[in-house]
Amino acid sequence: MTASTTGAAPLERGSRGSRVVVRVLVATALIWTVVPLGWMLLSSFKSTAEVTAATPDVWFGPTLDNYRNLFGGGNNLWPHLRNSVVAAGCSALLATALGALAGYGLARTKWRGKHHLSFWIISTRMAPIAAVVLPIFLIFRVLGLIDTLPGLVLAYLSFNLPFAIWLLNAFFAQLPPALEESAQVAGCTPWQAFRHVILPLTRPGLVTTFVLCLVFSWNDYAFALVLSGPRTQTLPIAASQLVTQTGIDWGQLTAIGTVVVVPMMLVGLAVRRWLVTGLTMGAVTGE
Amino acid sequence: MGELTMGSLTTGPHRAERSSGRRIRLPLPGFAGRMMAPGLLVLAGVSLLPFAAVVVMSFSRVHLLGGLRLEGAGADNWTRLFTDPDMAWAWARTAGYFVLTVGGEMVLGTVLAICLWRLRHGRNTALSLLLLPMFVAPVIVGLLGRFLTDSTFGLYSWVLGQLGYHGDLMGDKTTAFVSVTLMDVWEWTPLVTLIALAGLTSVPSSVLEAASLDGAGLLRTLRHIVLPAIAPVLLVALLIRSMDALRYFDIIWNTTGGGPADATKTASVKLYETAFRFFDFGYAAVTGLLMLAVTTVVARYFVRLLDRKGLAR
Repeated sequence: MTASTTGAAPLERGSRGSRVVVRVLVATALIWTVVPLGWMLLSSFKSTAEVTAATPDVWFGPTLDNYRNLFGGGNNLWPHLRNSVVAAGCSALLATALGALAGYGLARTKWRGKHHLSFWIISTRMAPIAAVVLPIFLIFRVLGLIDTLPGLVLAYLSFNLPFAIWLLNAFFAQLPPALEESAQVAGCTPWQAFRHVILPLTRPGLVTTFVLCLVFSWNDYAFALVLSGPRTQTLPIAASQLVTQTGIDWGQLTAIGTVVVVPMMLVGLAVRRWLVTGLTMGAVTGE
Repeated sequence: MGELTMGSLTTGPHRAERSSGRRIRLPLPGFAGRMMAPGLLVLAGVSLLPFAAVVVMSFSRVHLLGGLRLEGAGADNWTRLFTDPDMAWAWARTAGYFVLTVGGEMVLGTVLAICLWRLRHGRNTALSLLLLPMFVAPVIVGLLGRFLTDSTFGLYSWVLGQLGYHGDLMGDKTTAFVSVTLMDVWEWTPLVTLIALAGLTSVPSSVLEAASLDGAGLLRTLRHIVLPAIAPVLLVALLIRSMDALRYFDIIWNTTGGGPADATKTASVKLYETAFRFFDFGYAAVTGLLMLAVTTVVARYFVRLLDRKGLAR
């Protein structure tokens, strides 16, 4: 990105020897990263016997049996898929909506305790999940929210909402207040100025927030393990339960792994430009 | 969540009252306040309420059968915390994981970022591929790890077999510990790489050119120019990874379940077991509060460091 056409920065040019070292290191990292994923994908198209063969084999007759069994056979995956889509989707949507309001308010308030407030918000995100899930379990039991999708959506908000507020706050803080001030001079109410001037300018921030919240709740295991039940099990729980049943069907397991993983990789890479801001929760300015 | 929660909500308005003197200003006035209200109310509901509940639980015996019932237990759960050698070991293991995973991720991530930064062609493709593990659900990382290290058909076990190692990776205390650590390193090194690379691309090339004109070699440039320049971003990465390392659960629970012989039983695993296998919620609550306290201390320390660098807002 920084390398100009006339001459790269000295560090980027480097000697021939160091360039070889760099390439070897990157290649090693790529192998270390990609091999497990590639192996999972490959194994999901193998027959049961081939998956558990003592010598690994890359040449085999691909079959869709594993996927067919998952979606049509005894382990019907559809309800789990639906639960995951609804719980993760609704939670991400709610977090983005509430986060946009609160993030904007936080960016524009001149309240003195603002610093404390934003630290409180971010510290709820950092709280260990295990410590949060325990009381939520008891509270949900009293309220009858165990094994319900609204319960899961609410539980996911405990980590999605602080994240959304914090991240969107970073996006709103980049926009000069003069924008909505001039809109208000032109006759807009504060809400109209927010809705028609500020919000459209934050579209990348909204999309990034939604996608990352979606990934977090789609991948959640701890909350779903404790709070879901037979009716609301999500995909990660379904995946882990393939193991506890008698004997492990590794072919199906690699197939379900692929189903869980691929959509999140696609949406994650789609917002790559904003990943740094997103994943550092706005703490790193500039990128 | 935590003590800072209570502190921040009470000290803020008080200070405002005292300093302004004449008129008492309401904490969140005006349009900004109204915009914040729904989000903050929900957030309070899903964080302050559970926090209060976990404090109450820590002083109670919790009965689940025949309707939820709390029975006062005084400081029993707390005194138990300090006399339980299992708990001390769980924390020692957590500390071990913390150092190994976070240390490994920071070093590997930074080295990889510097390599990518110096790569002239294919940087974007390489980066996209390297980022993939971050989006994999930790459960799947754990299950996939089990698949790859299975002693009869695992790909990695087979490779190690070719190299002369024939043991069961998940069956031995040391190798199980190392394997689980490496799975976390596999998943999260890319995050450090991504953050460090963002820091590197903002190092002005004029500074680098000046350094090279002054005859500074590669290592000296890295040591005296590049690393200081990206130190603040690395600190942010360190903060994020530290918070996650303290609550490391999904992967361990799906690979070893805390075994063999408790070798991978961290504080999180211990807490889950205490609550949902032995249904001892009071003691689990104490463990949870301790985790919260440790997290808070670590976060405060890093945020103060960041403040000094002028990065936190």
